[in-house]
Amino acid sequence: MENGTPMKNKIKVFRAMHDLTQDNLAHAIGVNRQTILAIEKGKYVPSLDLAFRIARYFKVNVEVVFIYDDETPAGLNETGNGNV
Amino acid sequence: MKKNTFYLLIGCIAIALVCTFWYSDEIHSPLLIMGGFIVAVALIFYALSKVTDLIQDERDIKITELAMTRTMLVFWVIFCTFSIGAVAQMLQVPSFPRLPPGQRTVTLLSPRLMGFVQLGFLCLMIFLYVGFRIYYARKYGEWDTDEE
Repeated sequence: MENGTPMKNKIKVFRAMHDLTQDNLAHAIGVNRQTILAIEKGKYVPSLDLAFRIARYFKVNVEVVFIYDDETPAGLNETGNGNV
Repeated sequence: MKKNTFYLLIGCIAIALVCTFWYSDEIHSPLLIMGGFIVAVALIFYALSKVTDLIQDERDIKITELAMTRTMLVFWVIFCTFSIGAVAQMLQVPSFPRLPPGQRTVTLLSPRLMGFVQLGFLCLMIFLYVGFRIYYARKYGEWDTDEE
């Protein structure tokens, strides 16, 4: 269901910027590490509530972390590279 | 309570339920196992509420919901098929003689066999649920590995 979704995210980038592991982030927002991993890999699209919690944690707007990109072919971001 | 203690408790409850089932059969009292099952489920839910290191987030809940829904979808078809057969069999109890005198009505399942079929359905339901749960857990990245 979610695997072909145009929803992309930059959680991995923000984690790297904040020097966080998946486990750290998962504990901080109260979910399992597997959930963070699944979101990063695009296998699970989080609820609005969780998306906002993640964005708030990084102190950015939700659309900065999550991008709804239905124009870009699957697997490519706006720069033509692979998934962020 | 720790997560592993909870799993251990579930194992103990399952063994106790099997023993209760056996004893209930020995003393011919089905009410014992019926009551025991309700108590066991209540105990499990109570223990689950006391587990401190078990995080159940929205993804887990979604996986559980989908697995439950799919299990019920498959199960009700099978259960209804069997129930319709059982009703049809029950309706064969003649209110007027359909068969020539002296010829017995052919019954597909004896009451004892019906009990075993019901037991089979219970097992089927568990296997279906576990199967669907594994399927959806894989779909939503349960056992994916990362470079971390």
